[in-house]
Amino acid sequence: MELNEKIEGVLEFVQKAPRYTGGEMNTAVKAWDQCPLHFGFCFPDTYEIGMSHLGLKILYGLINREEWSLCERFFMPWVDMMEQMERENIPLFSMESRHPLRDFEVVGFTLQYEMSYSNIPAMLKMGGVPVLSRDRGEEDPIVVAGGPCAFNPEPLADIIEAFMIGDGEDVMTELNRVILRRKQEGLTREECLRELSRLEGVYVPSLYTVEYHEDGTIAAVTPKDAEVPPVVRKRVVPDLNDTYYPEEIPVPYTEVVFDRIMLEIMRGCTRGCRFCQAGILYRPVRERSMETLISLAEKLVSATGYEEISLSSLSSGDYSCLPELIRELMKRLKDKRVSISLPSLRIDSVLKESLEETQQVKKSSLTFAPEAGTQRLRDVINKGVTEEDLLEKVRDAFEGGWSSVKLYFMDGLPTETREDLDGIADLARKVVNEYFRLPKEKRMKGLRVTVSASTFVPKPFTPFQWEAQDTIPQVQEKQEYLKQILSIKGVKFNWHEPHLSFLEACFARGDRRMGKVLLTAWQKGCILDGWNDQFHFDRWMDAFRENGLDPAFYANRKREKDEILPWDHIDSGVSKEFLWREKEKSEKALTTKDCRLGCNGCGLQTWKGVCGFANRSGV
Amino acid sequence: MRIVAVFEKGERIRHIGHLDIQRAVQRGLRRSDLPVAYSAGFNPHILVSFASALSTGASGKREIMDVGMAGEVTAQEFIERMNRAMPPEMQISEARLVEDRHPAMMALLTAASYDLTVYGDGTAETLIRAIPGLLARDIVPAMRKTKTGLKECDIRPLIYQLKAEGNTIRAVLALTEREACKPNMLIAALKEEAGITDDPRILTVRTQLYGTGADGKLQPLETL
Ligand code: SF4
Repeated sequence: MELNEKIEGVLEFVQKAPRYTGGEMNTAVKAWDQCPLHFGFCFPDTYEIGMSHLGLKILYGLINREEWSLCERFFMPWVDMMEQMERENIPLFSMESRHPLRDFEVVGFTLQYEMSYSNIPAMLKMGGVPVLSRDRGEEDPIVVAGGPCAFNPEPLADIIEAFMIGDGEDVMTELNRVILRRKQEGLTREECLRELSRLEGVYVPSLYTVEYHEDGTIAAVTPKDAEVPPVVRKRVVPDLNDTYYPEEIPVPYTEVVFDRIMLEIMRGCTRGCRFCQAGILYRPVRERSMETLISLAEKLVSATGYEEISLSSLSSGDYSCLPELIRELMKRLKDKRVSISLPSLRIDSVLKESLEETQQVKKSSLTFAPEAGTQRLRDVINKGVTEEDLLEKVRDAFEGGWSSVKLYFMDGLPTETREDLDGIADLARKVVNEYFRLPKEKRMKGLRVTVSASTFVPKPFTPFQWEAQDTIPQVQEKQEYLKQILSIKGVKFNWHEPHLSFLEACFARGDRRMGKVLLTAWQKGCILDGWNDQFHFDRWMDAFRENGLDPAFYANRKREKDEILPWDHIDSGVSKEFLWREKEKSEKALTTKDCRLGCNGCGLQTWKGVCGFANRSGV
Repeated sequence: MRIVAVFEKGERIRHIGHLDIQRAVQRGLRRSDLPVAYSAGFNPHILVSFASALSTGASGKREIMDVGMAGEVTAQEFIERMNRAMPPEMQISEARLVEDRHPAMMALLTAASYDLTVYGDGTAETLIRAIPGLLARDIVPAMRKTKTGLKECDIRPLIYQLKAEGNTIRAVLALTEREACKPNMLIAALKEEAGITDDPRILTVRTQLYGTGADGKLQPLETL
């Protein structure tokens, strides 16, 4: 095969060739000719990031499990590889059989973060697929997307033909079946998209028109005719125990960001932090049973040979029988020398006991996310964490032999004042003090407290979706201040690039016109924006200017209650009224209880039987 | 008991470095459920060593792993279970049981054979034409990478065999812990001899590892 020869030829000249060579364990290819439907799964970032992503592994297994469909992986090549490919005329090819992207009937992107968007036109172009939906002909693949960012699909409305909103497991197969009909029954592209729009949880943007007011806000989003649903409701898989989960997953040769088994113990989060988009999108909370998890863990360990399992979810500490689960897993996997780690420790979870158990196996750095420096601001964002809680957990950790702790904060939260920033330094200092209060022989050497501050990005479907983001100079000023007050011995301070957060804010709440900015910026050479050394903020600003749009309109503007938001025709199950109520409570620093203590009436209680907590006490 | 096994590092995965190959074998052994021996300590790992690290970019037809076992297993069982547990590019072709006190494979290694396929118009011919001249010399200077930097050495005595077939150069070169002629050193010397400066694209395949038998002759390492 000529393409194969060309690929082999260029691999000698790129860094990290294994990013492109495939052949990993559990990626055995299915015979191309024996499957009528070929799905090109595109992760719009590098191999190392994509292969760390749980959703990819779930859908990869799910599509390949069906006898009639095949799934192969595509990642964004690094710049050096792109140059080689361009020079040698090599199209973007799949990791498995090295087929060009254009040979697949479905091209599916996963949208995990906004700053990967410019990689989407880049990958389509390299793969020989027309970038804009309207330029695709009957021979071209159908381009679809899913993932959390699909909840505001508008900035990608010109590129993606169908979005899967919500949990992907069920709708994925339904969508593939429709696209298979296109091939087998000769549905036209147009007919196929119509069919797709009839699936629950699928949004086909070309079937809607958007009108704007003179001030740039949206006047109306109108379905083209009566057959098109005016609102697209997200998909929810009601019970994770009978939802597909892979029993074998690819094992990369090279080290990737998360190189271990990820066991999704539950989906959703009951806490209701007001800045957190995932907390809303993945509602309601659904737990996998211990039985299911233990059986999955054992199968995954034998199929992968991994030496580590992480229990993953938005808030693993909240899993109903976490200590029992950990104890049981440790018992079963001891002989195989598998360690267990909990990635997102919540500081108010009753974890001391389990921590001591995990520690026998694995001692990694501990992370805590107080998010804000004062109790007042933590109440505003409904982060139900107190200082005493945090310090107690930190003390336990130091006593338990940890010496490095990471603290995550956000700057620019609504109502934030200088005092809240001072609170961050206070908290860091108190953590340091806890360490030194322990007698020398009782503490591990090498105290390291890492304080990370990211810039608050208001996201759709959160109570803060109407809020303004701080301007770049405001953020910079705050970061300078934090740098000063955080020069504390034993403390390291990290902060995020404010320009990137600004652009992220533009896309997060962008409308269809942002698609033009995206295209222009990509044409100007913007790709891999999530990588600092590839990020060209000036080109992005030029792209805004050339399209007559003001980024501040998207990022720094406070919205009114009655404004039609670009994503209002997508239904997350959580009502706009609930979100507004939460916003008003936040302004008074009033907290909302954890759903496990009673339903807060977010809207999902009206969906038949999806939320297990809705029927309990409360509203 | 230990198992000495011959495995392949396939062409497709030739860019995988030695550390990653080691990890892939570790994980393969874990998947196989064979009664392997683990090291003691905080981060237990399987007691497996390799006769020789194969550099990034090269594939290997007959690489050798040396695995410590904690329980009984036959060679045949080892092969079957490992081949189910390893990806297609890393299959095992032979295995043999050895006593614990049998010397480590690494210590017995003395040479390796390579197939070096040269791409590019006329490049192979030019390099191959330089072979007789190179072999006729008493001294072939080369640069060897050491911990302290590049050092000059003479590789003439380290070249045991050198011939060509089509656009492939076949070489048997010394490879011990003390001294070695790496394929890139040989190619550099051939380029010099042929008077070319461009870096040709070369596909390196290590075809066999050797030790020295009682008769002083090279013998496939896995048989020693
Ligand atoms: S329906 Fe009630 S319990 Fe369920 S997520 Fe919404 S507020 Fe929480």
